[in-house]
Amino acid sequence: MSNKNNSENVAYNELAIRYNLSVVEYVRTSMAALSGCTAGLLGLTGLYGAAFYIFAVTSLWLMVLFKAGFKTWKSYFISRKGLLTNGFFGHLFTYILCWTFIYGMVHVY
Amino acid sequence: MTADLIVDHEIRLWVFLPIVVITFLVGILRHYISILISSQKKVELQQLRDSQLILRAKLLRENAKYIPKSTFLMRRYAFNKEEEGYLTQKRPNNTQNAMTDPSVMTDMLKGNVTNVLPMLIIGGWINWMFSGFITTKVPFPLTLRFKSMLQRGIELSHLDASWVSSASWYFLNVFGLRSIYALVLGENNAADQSRQMQEQMSGAATNMPQDPRVAFKAEWEALEILEHQWALSNIENTLI
Repeated sequence: MSNKNNSENVAYNELAIRYNLSVVEYVRTSMAALSGCTAGLLGLTGLYGAAFYIFAVTSLWLMVLFKAGFKTWKSYFISRKGLLTNGFFGHLFTYILCWTFIYGMVHVY
Repeated sequence: MTADLIVDHEIRLWVFLPIVVITFLVGILRHYISILISSQKKVELQQLRDSQLILRAKLLRENAKYIPKSTFLMRRYAFNKEEEGYLTQKRPNNTQNAMTDPSVMTDMLKGNVTNVLPMLIIGGWINWMFSGFITTKVPFPLTLRFKSMLQRGIELSHLDASWVSSASWYFLNVFGLRSIYALVLGENNAADQSRQMQEQMSGAATNMPQDPRVAFKAEWEALEILEHQWALSNIENTLI
C-alpha cells in the first residue's frame, strides 16, 4: 500500500488509507457494542465497567496491530497512536448504552 | 442484585424493551423513507466543471513534489495566468436565491417531513404511552446534577440519581444508537436524528450552490504561495 522513497518521505495511497480507517471504525463499533453487552451480562458496575472498556479498547488495538503485523503496520496506517485513541469517547456512548441495556435486562429486574 | 427498589417484571417486557425496539425500527424506517422520496439533484454543467477544476488544482497542489519544477510552474501558470487562467477567469454572479428556486423548497420540505415530523410524533407518543415508569438503573453512580436529565417525568426528590425514567431512556436510545445504525445501514445513512438536527442548526447555507469565485480565489491563493520542493531529487540512487 505504500512505497518508501526514503526514511522520512513516505507516499500513501489516500484511498486505501481511508478504506482501512473506515474498516477499523466498523470493527470498533462492533467491539463497543459487544463489550458493552458483555459488561452488562457480567454485572459490572461503576469503575469496573470503565476499566473493562479501556481493557476492551486496548486489546482491540493490540489485535488490529497483530493482524497488520507488529513490524509492518506502518504500511497500513499512518499513526499507531491515532488507531488507539480515535473515537474513544464516541464509542464510549455506544458502550454505555449496551451496558445499561443488558444490565437493566439481566440484573435490575 | 442489591436493588433498594424492586421494579415490576412486566415493565421490562412492556416498557423497557419496546422503547429500544421502537427507536431502532423507526430509525431504519426513516432511512428507507428518505431514500424513497429523495430526488436526484440536478447538477448544472457549469457547476460540475467548476468543481472538477478545483479538484484538479488541489491535486496539483498536493502532489507537486512528485513532478519537476518546470512542469509544476507550467501547470501553475495555466491555472493562475493573469487574465484568462482557469482560476482567474471572469464569472457572472450566478448564485440563485434559494427562495425562488422551487426544487430547493421541496427538498427542504422533504427534509422536514422525514426529520421533524417523526421526531415529534414518536417522541410525543412515547411520552404519552410510557410516561411515568422507572425503567432501568445505570450501572454506575451519578451525581445529583444528572437527576433532571435522567429522570424526566418523575419528580421524586429522594430517588437515587442512577435510576432512569422511560422518557429519558428514549432519548438515551435516540442518541446512543447512531453508531449502531452506521453498522447496520452503512455510512451516511439517514436514520441518524442527532446528526440531522445538527445540520438543521447549521442552517441551509451548506446546501446552497457555492459561489465559484470564492473557491477559485482561495485555490488561486494556495497555489500562489506554494513553494516547490522536489521529493525525488535522489531517486536515481534509491532505485539503482
